Amino acid sequence: MSLVEIFRAVFINIWASKFKVFLTTLGIIVGSVTIILVIGIGKGGQEDVAEQFRNLNATSIFVMPALGKTTQATLGLSDVEAIKEGAPSLSDVTIMVSGKADASYRNTSYSAGVTGATEEFCNIQNLTVKYGAFISHYDNERRKKVAVIGDEIAELFYGDEKSEAVGTDLVIKGRRYEVIGVLERVGDSMQGFSPDEGVIVPYEAAEKYILGRTRPRIMALAKDVDHVASAIEEITEVLNKTYQGKSDAFMIRDAGSRVTAAQDSARTMSVLLIAVATIVLIVGGIGIMNVLFVSVKERTKEIGILKAIGARRKDILLQFLIEAIVISTSGGLIGILLSIFVMPLMQYFDLRVIPSLYGYVMALAFSIATGTFFGYYPASKAATLRPIEALNYE
Amino acid sequence: MKKTKAVTKRLKPYVQRKEGNDSMQDHRLISMSNIDKSYQMGKNELKVLKEVSLEITAGEFVAVLGPSGSGKSTLMNIIGCIDVADCGEYVLAGENIEAKTEDGLAHIRNKEIGFVFQKFNLISKYTAVQNVELPLLFRGIGRKKACEKAKKYLELVGLGDRIHHKPTELSGGQQQRVSIARALVGEPKILLADEPTGNLDSQSGREIMDLFMKLHAEGNTIVLITHDSDVGKQAERIIHVRDGKIYEE
Repeated sequence: MSLVEIFRAVFINIWASKFKVFLTTLGIIVGSVTIILVIGIGKGGQEDVAEQFRNLNATSIFVMPALGKTTQATLGLSDVEAIKEGAPSLSDVTIMVSGKADASYRNTSYSAGVTGATEEFCNIQNLTVKYGAFISHYDNERRKKVAVIGDEIAELFYGDEKSEAVGTDLVIKGRRYEVIGVLERVGDSMQGFSPDEGVIVPYEAAEKYILGRTRPRIMALAKDVDHVASAIEEITEVLNKTYQGKSDAFMIRDAGSRVTAAQDSARTMSVLLIAVATIVLIVGGIGIMNVLFVSVKERTKEIGILKAIGARRKDILLQFLIEAIVISTSGGLIGILLSIFVMPLMQYFDLRVIPSLYGYVMALAFSIATGTFFGYYPASKAATLRPIEALNYE
Repeated sequence: MKKTKAVTKRLKPYVQRKEGNDSMQDHRLISMSNIDKSYQMGKNELKVLKEVSLEITAGEFVAVLGPSGSGKSTLMNIIGCIDVADCGEYVLAGENIEAKTEDGLAHIRNKEIGFVFQKFNLISKYTAVQNVELPLLFRGIGRKKACEKAKKYLELVGLGDRIHHKPTELSGGQQQRVSIARALVGEPKILLADEPTGNLDSQSGREIMDLFMKLHAEGNTIVLITHDSDVGKQAERIIHVRDGKIYEE
């Protein structure tokens, strides 16, 4: 029988039991959608990580209060000085506190992310000042009430005339701060700090008037990537000297290991989702196999008739196998179509999904593979039925 | 029925004349010797055919008569190559059947044999013409050609106006005609009919028998299996099967 005729027979068969076929296809549709989402979410996760750390210097080192430790110790400006002295592998060190505080300009008020930092912060965070200037050493020393504002805050308070912001006064927690600079737009936020919707004030002003001594962090830049390890050692040594017996109150992390950790968790997520997709597809495949077995049983007599009038094993095998492949392929295609509608919905769950051709191809490939794999056994069962027994089957 | 009998007698010389042109050897279509067949029924072995030897010549109209359980259906299945003998020799149209693989048998069933079953055995989701096309499609003939030929044979059996009907839309007699058209379309050497009138009312049964007589008159070799001696009598040669052995009349 020519392939065209086999396909024709397959379509007549599928049409004759379309509802059953549709139910079978559901398993494959779900499997295919899952694969596309898995790959999309995986890509989204990777992209998220990449974006989070885009502005992060690979040589950054963070010293922060350790979580869940009973020993209490708080970092301060003196530690910055000590580290500057004792850690020659570093090029820059700053200290920062951050928190939320109400900032208002004229009648507009906004709960902004306030960061108190020293002048080195600009360089360490890769920030660019668009209008005006960043906080200076002098501002810090004098605890001057000045502020550098992010792009979104500037837009909120000043609309399109962001350059007008420089020289005006903001009120933060009841005190007036003169805006001395507006930052260039950064885009997506970094971990724990989003410059676009933030206000940066001198460290000591923030500590004294706005946030208090709330878990200050030290940020530092190593001279280059090769100096990160030695810089961490030097910082540890300095802190050990200062906080004898209490140095475990801090943890020291470098940007590289943070990126790796984030990527690892994104990857773990992908692996987990791939496991789910695999299970869904196997279940879908078993569904196909089950339906085909029932179909072989139901059509035993028909197989007997076909064999009696001259169908070879190959004719029967191909008919059932192609049926399985057609069912699974259409399941895969429907899944692809469906995923195009489902993917935008994922944003409501705060999940970033990036559609990709790779995802579609994988979904289709896995669907077809499932159909072929699980369809072969019932098909070969049908093909090897003995004509006399099949013909006498009632 | 008397009328059909008369037809048979009248046509006999025609068949003999056809045979007379060649030696008998070339026209020996079926040659069986010492065929044994048994089935396992639980622990017991049931011997269905015992040392059956049979020869059928091209152009013959043979009735195989016997009560149910006599082994006639098994004999037909072996003749039709949908079952194989345990031992013995079976040569069909010059080809040794024991040596064939399953696909080889499929090829022989497709080319040499046309089956007509008691329960018609049409495929219900196909139309009449699609059913009749099947043997040709299995042979690898293109759909267009197969369709043309199928239509021709449906016309021959008197169903030219019903070709796009599905079996469920046809009467029993009409379904049997479709199945005869399907048996004939591949131009087989033997038409093998198993109780072709068994599921039909007497009127349709007579019509089907008339059709067989006509086909025989055109030179077809027909082997008809039946338990009904009235049907069997219409053949020119009757073989009785009883307890797995055959007796010629």
